[in-house]
Amino acid sequence: MSATNSLPLSLKASPRLRLPAGKHIGLALALLYLTLLILAAIAPHLLAHGNPYGIAPREAFTAPGWQHPLGTDQSGRDMWTRLIFGARNSLVIGIGSILLALSVALSLAIPGAFGGAVAEQCVKWIFEILFSFPAVVLALLLTAIFSSGTFPLIVAVGIGAAPGYGRMLFGQFLTIRHAGFIEAARSLGHSPAHILRRHLVPNAFRPLLIAGAMGVGQTIIWASSLSFLGLGAPPPAAEWGTMLAMGRDYIAEAWWITFFPGVAIVLTMLATTTLGRFLKNHFETSSS
Amino acid sequence: MLARNTATHTCKAVFSSALLAALCLPLAACHKNKHARNATSPISGGTLIYATDREPVCLDPHVQGDMPQVFVAQQYLDSLVSMDKAGSIHPWLASSWDISPDGLAYTFHLRSDVTFTDGTPFTAEAVKANLDHMANPATQSSTAGGYIRQYHSTEIVDAHTAIIHLSRPYAAFLEVLAQGFLGIESPKALARPRDLNCQAPVGSGPFRIVRWDRQNRILFERNPAYHWAPSYALHNGPAYLNRIEWRFIPEPSARFAALQAAEVDAIDTLPPEAQTPAQHNADLWLLMADRPGNPTNGTLNTRRAPFNDARVREAFLRSADIEGALGSVFFHHYRRAGGPLTPTTPFYSPDFEHAADYNPQRANILLDQAGWSAKDADGIRTKEGRRLTVHIPLRSSLSNSERTLWEQVQATARETGFDVLLENADDTSVNAREGQWDYDVRIGYWNTNTADVLRIVFSSEFLDAAGISGHHQNESGFSNSYFDRIVNEALLTTDTEQRRNLYYQAQKIASAAFLQITTFPQTTRLAISKRVHDIRLEPALNVTTLYDAWVEQ
Amino acid sequence: MISFPNSGFVFLKKLMIRVGGACLVLFAAATLTFITLHLAPGDPVTAILGGSANPTPETIREIREEYGLDQPLMVQYALHIWHVLSGHLGASFSQHMPVTDVLWQQAPPTLKLMLSSLVLAWVFAVLSVTLSARKPFFDSAFSSLETFFAGLPQFWIGIILLWLFAYQLGLLPPAGTHGFSSLILPSLSLAIPLGGFLAQVMRESFKTTLDQPFVLTARARGLSDNAVRFRHVLRHALLPGVSLSTWAVGALVGNAVAVEFIFSRQGVGRQLFLAVSMHDMPLVTGIILFISVVYILASFLADILYVIVDPRIQEARA
Repeated sequence: MSATNSLPLSLKASPRLRLPAGKHIGLALALLYLTLLILAAIAPHLLAHGNPYGIAPREAFTAPGWQHPLGTDQSGRDMWTRLIFGARNSLVIGIGSILLALSVALSLAIPGAFGGAVAEQCVKWIFEILFSFPAVVLALLLTAIFSSGTFPLIVAVGIGAAPGYGRMLFGQFLTIRHAGFIEAARSLGHSPAHILRRHLVPNAFRPLLIAGAMGVGQTIIWASSLSFLGLGAPPPAAEWGTMLAMGRDYIAEAWWITFFPGVAIVLTMLATTTLGRFLKNHFETSSS
Repeated sequence: MLARNTATHTCKAVFSSALLAALCLPLAACHKNKHARNATSPISGGTLIYATDREPVCLDPHVQGDMPQVFVAQQYLDSLVSMDKAGSIHPWLASSWDISPDGLAYTFHLRSDVTFTDGTPFTAEAVKANLDHMANPATQSSTAGGYIRQYHSTEIVDAHTAIIHLSRPYAAFLEVLAQGFLGIESPKALARPRDLNCQAPVGSGPFRIVRWDRQNRILFERNPAYHWAPSYALHNGPAYLNRIEWRFIPEPSARFAALQAAEVDAIDTLPPEAQTPAQHNADLWLLMADRPGNPTNGTLNTRRAPFNDARVREAFLRSADIEGALGSVFFHHYRRAGGPLTPTTPFYSPDFEHAADYNPQRANILLDQAGWSAKDADGIRTKEGRRLTVHIPLRSSLSNSERTLWEQVQATARETGFDVLLENADDTSVNAREGQWDYDVRIGYWNTNTADVLRIVFSSEFLDAAGISGHHQNESGFSNSYFDRIVNEALLTTDTEQRRNLYYQAQKIASAAFLQITTFPQTTRLAISKRVHDIRLEPALNVTTLYDAWVEQ
Repeated sequence: MISFPNSGFVFLKKLMIRVGGACLVLFAAATLTFITLHLAPGDPVTAILGGSANPTPETIREIREEYGLDQPLMVQYALHIWHVLSGHLGASFSQHMPVTDVLWQQAPPTLKLMLSSLVLAWVFAVLSVTLSARKPFFDSAFSSLETFFAGLPQFWIGIILLWLFAYQLGLLPPAGTHGFSSLILPSLSLAIPLGGFLAQVMRESFKTTLDQPFVLTARARGLSDNAVRFRHVLRHALLPGVSLSTWAVGALVGNAVAVEFIFSRQGVGRQLFLAVSMHDMPLVTGIILFISVVYILASFLADILYVIVDPRIQEARA
């Protein structure tokens, strides 16, 4: 068995985050956070009262306190407000890139698994090529063409994440193929559309959902690392990665400018991972 | 190689590994050696580690020519003449000179005891080779070449006499010759291919370049034969330091932390947020000076809308709260420069400092007068269906502090109805756009020791770049024949009062045309360990010179 | 090597496919670089000359001839591929030195960083998995910790570590590429998230392996719990980690860019970023090819390691 055929992401059952008080505290917290995040993305004014773009230079570098719970940044803008308004950017990029990644992954995995030996080898090569081309490089090159912004970021992160999911789905589809559902269904006289509907889609849907849920956190991190390097949306956009990058010069005087965007990113990642794990366990137990 | 640092760090590294494994229990670090501070006279020997933020692209300052290059050049190159703080010119490699009555021929009598570090003797040949090199388009010299556009040729009379012929009188010629950009390199070295000379150029200065490790450091070694120091130096003879390690640490907080941790002995471009801690640190001393020239600014492009209208330009200048920015991200350590010249430039006049202060009410009135009275749903002014949009390309190499300053300008300008778009792009794309005049504001500065900078930055002579896409020093597109006449007249006379009068008028015209948002003067800001003495700033451009520097052992 | 029938022929065929794949990867990398840099706005001549220069028409014509910029696009592309194949990587526009020299200077620090990060990540992962798989409480606690670490962004961790250990405590250097001490914090920044991720994967594999029949057999044979864990189960558990390490190599290069910036380290990551911003085609191509080669080598190595570590193959021999 070649190492390169193994799955980078496992779909087997994994241990739950277990605490003495209750099995599902982790999940509850994760869902709460995600609800907050989605609310922040859709209706930020409900959660934050200030103007994320209005500067107040004379209030710059205010430490966290009553008036500004998370402090102010280098232009005097309230950190809490900026983080809330930045949630939209992050979610758009996170969800956009995961959708792109999964589309690309599917469009490679399906022909690869079911198209014959030549197609299989071609797809394997394509994955090799995509894997060896780091997403950062792609993002840099795309930004050179399109200039920095949300769109090149989504494309870069989406294409960068695609091979990982592609390999996973590829493996999953290979398993289905080897398990013989398809032959059995064909021998029973079912049409390809029927096979697609009854066997492929349900079997693909679950791993896709899990991968999607867990992937959003991962893509948000990748996107914020790219905007950290200056490839994100231009000012005055409140993007977590950019806020982190701009704040790092002041870490000795005003640690909160760099710290809190990082916390937001980490919490998002934890929440989506917890959700993904829960879905995975749920589907595993319900399908067996 | 650097025994001091390696020893303390191996000790620290092993220790910190153990510390990390023990989950961050605070324990005493390795003891830092405190040096006895009783030495007051220079000690020969030792290594100085100097950390700077930007790495030059080429070590030969004739090629292109930016500030990182001239900082390096000051250590290994000498110039024909030097300038003192008062602006007077003194001999250096040239021991005396005569200027012809028509101002077109400068006869330099050169020192006969100078050799370059590759053994080549310094003769009139060298002067000719250097000036020709700067003037040669193949060298791609934007700074040095730009300064000697009036250069015609060099005539070699004998081994130590050279006559430089100019095509037009140029009162600022000696001033520019004092700059490190026009330092004299070995003609034998200059004859090599450009890329080779970029790697390890050769001069006659107090140090010579040993090696350049990209993205890491440049190593210099003392030139033992040196005894032709300039008049502003504190001593003559070889330099005190054995070696210089010129390190590149682009991250501002890391650079200052390296100084505080005694990893490096001196840093330049002290970040504004680090200045107060540095002042309170008893182990450090600060050395700062304004650089003369055109201050850091955003130059408005007058060749296209909306800034082809002077009222809109004035309105934009009055919509920018520069003081607020200087108070926030610059921690009140940078002063405001309001006029077209920095206060340390010769013939600077303070009358233009407040020509365009922040005044949003006036800005609103001006915009209404200019016809931009309608506003769309976002609050942006419109005129005949067009939005009042301002495009500002931002280079990726721009510092975070300056970036924040322009974000703040964006925010306050929005309140008066400007839609400012800050467009991040890589340096090459931004250069391309600027070459094609595809911008509304261009961020830049120009350091030079003469008021002639006004001619370079604002006269129509510098509007074109050889006709093909390329850098044009006049970024505003300003073209005023009366202004051109004044700044050129100022070059024709050496009478100080006349020059003062002419440059006053030039500043007045430039200021009244509202061509630039000037922010702060360019400054040299060094923070130095108290173990290091006599790091000084060369008076022409206020560039670091390590010739007199010595370290306590 | 492996005593299966027809192994020689099968092995050779597999090798050919792998080599073919490797060549394809390099070819695709070179093509992609060419396309994107040509699509980017900005005249290559300006990039070559360095932006602020004032070129004369003669100089521009010379540059165009020297770099073949006058030729139609397809010809330029063919020249580009030919140069790549013949190993003639050319001179970097931005660094004014041969690309091979740039790689020679900048590659070792990045390789050191990647290697030390990978090693550290493995150490964390193996320790975490083996020490905690005893009691259920440790198991879930460590697992949560691993999830937490896996979710930390490298650049954020780097800044925090820098602040804590270099600025506040002054124990480690805040910048530079000299010696062992300057490698610690950058490696940690990359190793912590990777270690968390590896640990999660190996933990699952460990668990499922524990349920395998052969483990029962081993225990029935009277082997101690420790022996079972370390001699048998661990080797199975390591396998997905090995294949993941290949992917990790690719990911590490990308993450190394931010880390190299934060710690002002020499490296191809930072160099690549600067090269792209200067539209320096030869250097960008050179670095991408270098990354591809490293990835391919890591892939080969992982395959070989897989065969070595996989106990099933060893047991089949016995």
